[in-house]
Parts: sequence; C-alpha cells; structure tokens
Amino acid sequence: MGRSRPRRDASRPLTKCPRQDREEVLPLTEKGDPKQKDGNEKRIVKGLGFVGIAADANAVEVDVKNGKIIRINPLHYDRKYQPEEFNPWKIEARGKAFEPSMKSLIPPLSLGYKNRVYSPNRILYPLKRVDWNPEGNRNTENRGKSGYVRISWDEATDIIVSELKRIKQTYGMEAVFSQSDGHAETKTVHAAHGCHRKLLRLLGGFTLQTRNTDSWEGWVWGAKHVWGMENLGQMVPLTNAIQDVSENTDLILFWGCDPETTPWGWGGQLASRACYWFTELGIESIYICPDLNYGAAVHADKWIPIKPNTDAALQLAIAYVWITENLYDKSYIATHAIGFDKFEEYVMGKEEGIPKTPEWASPITGIPARTIKALARKWASKRTTIAHSNGGPFIRGPYSTEPARLEVLLLAMQGLGKPGRHQVKMTEWGLYHQQQRNPWPRPLFVPTLQAADRGWKYEDTPRQFIPKCLVHDAILNPPISWWGTTTLSRDPVEKQFVKSTYPVEGCPEIHMIWTDTPCLVTCWNDGNSILRAYRHPKIEFILAQHPWLENDCTFADIILPSNTKFETEDIGIDIFSGQFDAIFPEPKCIEPRGESKSDYEVVCTIAEKFGLLEEYTGGKSVEEWIKHGYETSGAADHISYEELKEKGYWIVPTDPNWKTHAPGMRDFVNDPEKHPLNTPSGKIEFYSERLAKHFPDDKERPPVPHWVPHGESHQESLYHPRAEKYPLLVCSNHPKWRVHAQHDDMTWLREIPTCKVKGPDGYFYEPLWIHPSDADKRAIRNRDVVMIFNERGTVLAGARVTERIIPGTVYIDHGARYDPIEPAEIDRGGAINTICPHHVTSKHATGQVASGFLVEVAKANLEELMKKFPDAFKRPYSEAAGLCLERVLDKDKRQ
Amino acid sequence: MLIDLDKCSGCYNCFLACRDEHYGNDFPPISSAQPFNGHFWMQIVERERGKYPKVKVSFIPKPCMHCDDPPCAGASANGAIYKRPDGIVIIDPEKSVGQKEILSSCPHRVIFWNEEKNIPQKCTLCAHLIDEGWQEPRCVEACPTGALLFGDLNDPGSEISKLWSSKKTEVLHPEFELKPRVKYIGIPKRFIAGTVYFKDRDACAENAKVTVTGRGKKQTVRTNNFGDFEFEGLGEGEDFTVKIENSGYTPQSFKVQTKLDVYLGEILLKRSSKK
Repeated sequence: MGRSRPRRDASRPLTKCPRQDREEVLPLTEKGDPKQKDGNEKRIVKGLGFVGIAADANAVEVDVKNGKIIRINPLHYDRKYQPEEFNPWKIEARGKAFEPSMKSLIPPLSLGYKNRVYSPNRILYPLKRVDWNPEGNRNTENRGKSGYVRISWDEATDIIVSELKRIKQTYGMEAVFSQSDGHAETKTVHAAHGCHRKLLRLLGGFTLQTRNTDSWEGWVWGAKHVWGMENLGQMVPLTNAIQDVSENTDLILFWGCDPETTPWGWGGQLASRACYWFTELGIESIYICPDLNYGAAVHADKWIPIKPNTDAALQLAIAYVWITENLYDKSYIATHAIGFDKFEEYVMGKEEGIPKTPEWASPITGIPARTIKALARKWASKRTTIAHSNGGPFIRGPYSTEPARLEVLLLAMQGLGKPGRHQVKMTEWGLYHQQQRNPWPRPLFVPTLQAADRGWKYEDTPRQFIPKCLVHDAILNPPISWWGTTTLSRDPVEKQFVKSTYPVEGCPEIHMIWTDTPCLVTCWNDGNSILRAYRHPKIEFILAQHPWLENDCTFADIILPSNTKFETEDIGIDIFSGQFDAIFPEPKCIEPRGESKSDYEVVCTIAEKFGLLEEYTGGKSVEEWIKHGYETSGAADHISYEELKEKGYWIVPTDPNWKTHAPGMRDFVNDPEKHPLNTPSGKIEFYSERLAKHFPDDKERPPVPHWVPHGESHQESLYHPRAEKYPLLVCSNHPKWRVHAQHDDMTWLREIPTCKVKGPDGYFYEPLWIHPSDADKRAIRNRDVVMIFNERGTVLAGARVTERIIPGTVYIDHGARYDPIEPAEIDRGGAINTICPHHVTSKHATGQVASGFLVEVAKANLEELMKKFPDAFKRPYSEAAGLCLERVLDKDKRQ
Repeated sequence: MLIDLDKCSGCYNCFLACRDEHYGNDFPPISSAQPFNGHFWMQIVERERGKYPKVKVSFIPKPCMHCDDPPCAGASANGAIYKRPDGIVIIDPEKSVGQKEILSSCPHRVIFWNEEKNIPQKCTLCAHLIDEGWQEPRCVEACPTGALLFGDLNDPGSEISKLWSSKKTEVLHPEFELKPRVKYIGIPKRFIAGTVYFKDRDACAENAKVTVTGRGKKQTVRTNNFGDFEFEGLGEGEDFTVKIENSGYTPQSFKVQTKLDVYLGEILLKRSSKK
C-alpha cells in the first residue's frame, strides 16, 4: 500500500472570507518614519489580562499612531520611576538570588492581541437572526443554523425594549436569565461582564446564572471538607511560600499542573521564571499528569504519566506505602488531624477487603507498582511541595472531590506547613485582592477598582438562580434541584448542605436569555445539551452582546457589537503579576470599530430607551467613574490624579516588612489550637463527621475520600462497560493558546504548530494528541482529520501523533470555537466540551466535569461529511483567522 | 544576539513580537511590512525528543544569522543586501524587488518571499528601533526568561561580549562557515536514557552503574531512585555501547545509534546465577 495522501482539497476549495478589514483599519500603505516622532504618537499603558473582573494583569505599553495600534510592549516598570521608588524585592536562598524583571512578563496572548482587535471575526454592527420574528414565528429550532441580517442600533434597541416589556408583563422579570460571569478582557467602567444586571434590577429583577468554580471543582467540593480553606479549598495563606520553597523544598510535584499554560492569561510568565529558578536551586521537579504538558516539556526532571482521573488510586497507594513502611509524620497527625484511623482502615482494605497497594493501583493508573513505591519513598524522604495552577486534568474530572481531598491528606501525613512542605499555587496571585493569596513578596497594599466597576457585583443575590453547570437541565427538564451553589461561586462550605430548586416557588421559568458571556457551549459541561436548551421554544428571545461572532452568539436572535478595551477610555490595575502591583488610567487607543460600543455603553443605550439612563449610570459620566476608581483605589494616598495621568502608571512599592510574615501554614503548624483551620474540628479531617451527618448514604463523596471509578452520576471509567464502545479517555486542560474561549481567532497564534493542524481541506483543526500505538490501531496518521465521539456527539479534530501522551488517552484543549456541521450533534471547530459529561461532579457536589471521560476516535471521512452536510462545508472561512463574521450573514444579504 | 536554549520555554513571545512589530508597519528604509501570515522572521524550530515516557521538547528560536559573510548579499543584484557597520544584514525593500533567487542563497532558510510586494524579507534585528535608541529588538524585549540576549560585541564590557567567546556558545550549522552574529547556548544534541529495574523484586534499580562508551570516550552515571539514567549532550548519529551493571545481577549491554534520541525503555536486570 502506498502511503501517499489522497488529494481531497484540490477540488473543493474553501469559500474564503476577507482576511482582515484592511481598508478600514489597517492601511498597509501608511508610511511611518520612525526617526520622525509624529505628534500623534502616543504610548498608552493598558492591562491585558483576561480574568474579566475589575482586577487586571499583564500591564502593557501600547504604541499608537494616527489612530492605529503600532505595537504592544511589556510595561517597563522603571520607565517613569527609579527602582528605589517602588522597592524591588529580592528572594535569597542557597547562596543565589531571584529578582523581578523590570518589565512585565506578558504572555503571547497579550503580546499579539492587536490581532484580535482587528479580527475578521469582529461584530461591527447589530445583527438580527433572519427568521426570528418577535411579532410572529420565532423559529427557535433554527438557532445555530439560520443566518443574520444587519439592523440599526435603533431597530435593535426598539426590539429589545419591547421584548423586555412583553416578557415582564407576560411572565415577570425573573423570566429573564442573565448570563454575565466568567472571563474576558478585564475592564472596569466598561466591564465585559454583568453591566446589564443593574438595568434588569431597575426593571424588576432577573434570574441569575451562577458561576460554578470551574477551575477548582475538586478543591471546592472536596478539599474544603478536609481543611476549610475558604473560598477555594486551596491552601491559604500562601504568604511567602516562594521564599520558603526556595530555601527548604527538595522536591516539587507538579500534579496535573502546567505552569507554562494556565498562569498566562491571569498574570503572565513569572511562573515560568520561577520554575527555572527552582531548577537552578537544585529542587527536583516531577510532573504527574497524563500529558507531557508544556511545563513538563521543558522543566520536568521526571514525567510520571498517569491515566486521566485515576490520581485517587495513586494517592491511596502512596498512603499504603507510608503506612506499611512507617514513613509518615505520626506526631503531626496526632496533633493536627482527626479521623486518621478511619482513613487507615480504608487504605489497608479493612472497609471493603481491598488493600490499596501499589500493585492494586498500578493497572488503574498505568504506573508500574515499583515506580509508585519509589515515588512514595522519595516523597517521604524529601521536603516536598505540590504545585498547582488550576484547571489541569487532576481537578476537573468526575468525582474530582476525591483526589483533591486525598492530596491534602497526603500533604498532612508529611507535615503540611513545615519548612518546604506546602501546596503552592502558580497562578491567580491577586485573587479577591487578598494579600494571603500571593506567595511572592507582597506589595504595600493591593489596589482595587471595585467601586468603579460597572459590571456584576457579589451583592447580586436574586431569589432565583441556576448553577452554570445545570442550565441545560433547568431549561429542558424542570423542575430541578441541587446542593450547594446559590448566588456566589465563593459560597462558604456551609452552603454545600443547602438544597436549592428551580423554578423557585412564585417565580416563572426563564423565557429570555441576555448573555454577555456567550461561550457556554465550548467551556462548560455537555455543550450539546446546552444547545438543545437554547433551541427550545420556551426560550423566546436570546440577546447576546460580544465583540466577536463566536460560540453561543450564533444561537442568539439579536447580537449587539461590543468592543475591546483599545476602543474605550477606562482605568486598570495589575495585581496578578507576582512582580509588582500597578494602577494605570487607560486612555482610548483607537476609535471603536464599526458601530461597536463598550458593554457598558450597550446597556446605557438600552437604559436610555427605558428612560432610566440617569439611574443606571448613577449620574456619573465615564470620566467621573474613572476618577472615582482612582480615588477609592488606595493609590490616591501616594500619587495625585494629575501625576498619575501624566506618568501613565504607578507602581505599588513592595512592603518593606514582607519578610516578617510567617510562610504558608506555619502558624497552624506551630499552634493548631490558637490558629485552627476552618473545619468543624479546627484540624485536618481525614474523616468528615459533617459529610457523614448530612449525606450518610453518599457513595460518591463518602466521609473518607475514596477511589470512585464510576457510580450513579458518572460512568466515565475504563472499568465501566461503556469503555467497550468508547475505549479512550479524554484529558482536557485549560488551553495553551487561548484563555478558555478567548483568542481562538488570533491568526498569528494559529500558525504555531501546537495551536492548530491544517487539514487536507485547508481548515485549521484543533489538535488532538494521540499516542502512536493508539493511532496505529485506528490507521490514523499525523495531521489526519479525526472524529472524537461518544453518545453525546461528535467533534472533529486534527490528529497530532505524539509521544507526549499516555497510551489509551487522547488530549485536547478546551475552548475551541464551535463550528457546527449539525448543531448539537457534530462540531468541526474542536469544541470538545460539546461532548463532555452531562452531570455535575457527583450527587451532592454541583461542579462541572470537563476532563477524564470516555470517547472513541476514528479517522474522519471528510468527503462523506461534505456530501451529507454541504452547507456547513461551504460556509465562508478565513484560512488565517478561522471563522469570520461573513459566514453567518444571510446568504441573500451577502455581498 | 545570543540565544540560551536552556532558558527557552517555547512561549513564542519572540515570534509574536516580531509579527506585532512588522505586520502592518513599514519602516523605511529598513523594512517593509510583513504580510498577514506565512512569514517567520523569528522562527521557532520545535522538536519532540525521545520516546514515551522519556520525552522532552526543544525549541530553537531562529532569526536571520546576520552572517559576516552573508551569501544572500552575494546573490543579490543592485546592492540590495548590505551589512551595516553594526553587523546587521539588511535587505533593502526597494532595491530587492523581484529578486526571488535571494531566498535559495540562504542555507539557513530564513528569508521569506512577500508575494504581494514582490520582495524578499527577513529579520532586521529591529534596526529601525535600534537606530531610534532602543536597547533591544522586539523579540529580545518580549522574552520573559532572558533566553534572548542582545548587545554590542564591540563593547568588551557588555554582557554579550563576555559570553560570546566562552566555550558554552556555539553556532547553528558551523559547517556553513558563514560567521554568524547569532550564537547559541545549549543546542540540543542527543540523549541516551533508560529505566532499570530488578526483575526478582519488581523494584526500581537505584544506584546501578551505567556506562556509555563511544568515540573512545567513556562516561558513567548511577541510576536514580526511579532507576532512571540519562546521558545528555551526546553526538548525533554516533555509535555507542551502553552497559548496565549492578552487583548480584547479570549485566546488560546495548549497542545504540544516536540518529535520534534514544530511550531504551524499561530494562530488567535478572539475578546472576549462583556459581
């Protein structure tokens, strides 16, 4: 047999989109003379983090000339200030020193962001779905299929006002569902998320989509029951943890952790420098994960590949080795923990007759028993820290509560909090503006702009709400009820014992969705079910506002063009870099593209039609809100508004006393009675009395953490009969070249070999990592287009045959842009979440499951698909940017 | 420019910074704007090394080498390619129109053809910015780990001068003999690795003696607690003998060729038969 590839592409060229609106925004003919400082040239400081809550990161300098972005640079902290003015810190350990860079360590996601501002995927004017008629047939079943026509702002807002009035009158305001959380460009006054909530409150209320803790599921629903650690279930305080690790740690276990990926959008690349620093100090780095992730690829001293979602078995076997070989800190357990005896019983097999030996764990995890023993012994003999950076394969699978809890127990067995022994987080160092979440030398204070933030507020506590991971069931199968999750993803652990129901008595079901977060399909669980819900006739109106035409937008009836932070004036802070906190006014760089408005201005426009503008804005102009932000930021005591505006930024000095704060959990270690944990006993709970009391029959999250391969909620294990049909496990992390669903149209990133795979049809497919042994079995070759499928649907991808993945598992990033071949059934874009598990973490744990589930993979027959779904394959497509606005414009209206 | 590959995490910031600087921006007389895509003035050569589960990834950022004897200059007509006194090699965007043959003159393949403008294009080390007083080109400025170093080789006190002639630095393809002004630290060679265990005890063989012999040279390491050993930095395409010894066990020996990196996999040692 010849190995030549059939030339499928020649006869079927893709319909091309215009690559970029060059005439309008990027005149290539423009000549600039770099030696001649143009009077119009400006250097503007902006934050380019992608957290999306008025707490930004990745401070950059944007060079702008003649209304065009010339370049995006790192911020040079010392451009306008002498270093002594902001007191740079220095970590000294083992005769070496580590110092912050004098420039912000921005990721490529920020550096190339010009690309996204000028994306051909930008929505430039209001759009209406062509066959949605609010006066007549709404054709809800055509969502995702029908095209769009351009309408005026006036027409769009007239429809929106009349629909809101109608819905209020017919059902009551709680029939309006607000989707307004999640990640995005981080803006303050022009907040990307939640601007519409205040208007809905003024109109009488709404039903809230409550964010679940999407990157922390296991810790929130599991680890909190072991060690408290509000609000995430991850170790706090992290204070001075990096200093302590540098001085004392011998071994770091990067457990399902990729320090070269998840930290990027949140705070840049200090985590990368930290990893090089740890290696320079002689600290050993072991990566335990199914994939050789990007951190492991360059930093690992050893990679221990593990089958997805089997970490609990490995952890139990490690405990078994320690117990049988007497290799754990018994005195610490005696004084700092409770319930160890019950855990020991389970590990030793007294509970169910199966001792959790390394030999037992080996076939489950795919790790040789001898390696498990060697790891256990090494861990016990070395001062060991576990590093995480959210969202890896360890924490988002079915029953993620179990590995999350077991990890804390193992750390406790080795004297958690003693020198060199921590759980360290390599990202989100500015979360909630809390100093205790920052493991680096702390700033004098953490600046805040919350008072100026016009987006969603923690105080939004409407009486009706739906957890984000249950939106599909709420619409398709009401009534529903669940445990935990009320109106806050920051709920304290006590709320996990509260049962909620939708619809709330006296409230209507939802009939309208207003989203500024249109990415549920590619970021949450069972996206295909979500799409079926979106197409349900009871959802009479879907309104989306977003800068880019992507994902859930294409299921909306009206789409309003919001814009990027380059097109507005605002104010920002950088509190996630780990280097220095900063505050900066953010002047406008360029004029809004097309007819776009900021998310705040979008809502202002609608509020005005209701005659509520004054109430909505609080009587303040944007400029006044910006100044209000400065005045309440904490910076006003240090720098005048005029000087801040003139210099463009201000750096918060490092706290001169940063070294005096006890590292990590040292206070608890030294005196657990005086510094108790936030658990009922104040100690680490190997057995949770509270779980036993509330959920005595819960086999999926019992009082002592267990190995739960499958159960009532999930059948996603190789040990379940489903595996006969779907024999591969999917590992899906937070994406490398995106922040969740953001950045997928950045053309320059798409040229990076690990970002996309160009198919024979010219389409850039999302890569699927597959081991050569699994590829051979399926006659799949590198760069083949493949189908990933299970009962929940099919996703196409481009095969990347690689040694970087454990056999029996395939790897794919989440968050690729959804591109339906058949909506809610087959996706071409690689949105793997469309076929993620339907149910929440476990019966009483309302988290989402987005990794560690069963599929089969086969080579795709593109020709057959093209024959069967000709329209889907004929849609306009930009080779550079992928999907583009053109593809959804109604065919008759296309030019 | 000096590129320390031991510090390169493969973040592609250098590539992105180059695109950001040059797409849509003309900087006459140094450069004309890059096309929208397809050009890699700062290219990252990404290579997967080894076999599961001993795998690493190497990244080699590869700009124009700014050779002292640039063959591209020789291949150009009309003086379209010239070397500046500071060592930067520039393709004049006006004089080079139509000279497609320049592309094949570069053995490093770092010159790209701009279809739209009918010109060859490549890295300028952001000479337009250096002339304006910038300390570094965009790629160096954007590098978060300090893997890219730029400086004045004529200044003996500069950091780059100190490192430049040290033994650690090497050039890509020295056989081209083009005297490049871009040097590297840590160009990936080949590794031989393996994991040793004792069959009788099903235990990782810690502290076993592993010797690799090739080209008359001999190196010895001990396996770690996982039974792993690794010899990094071996020559490419050479023949080696790997010998694994542990008292009480029958030694094992392998002949390997380092065309690619070699992971010998799991090597089991059997108890030596009692004499």
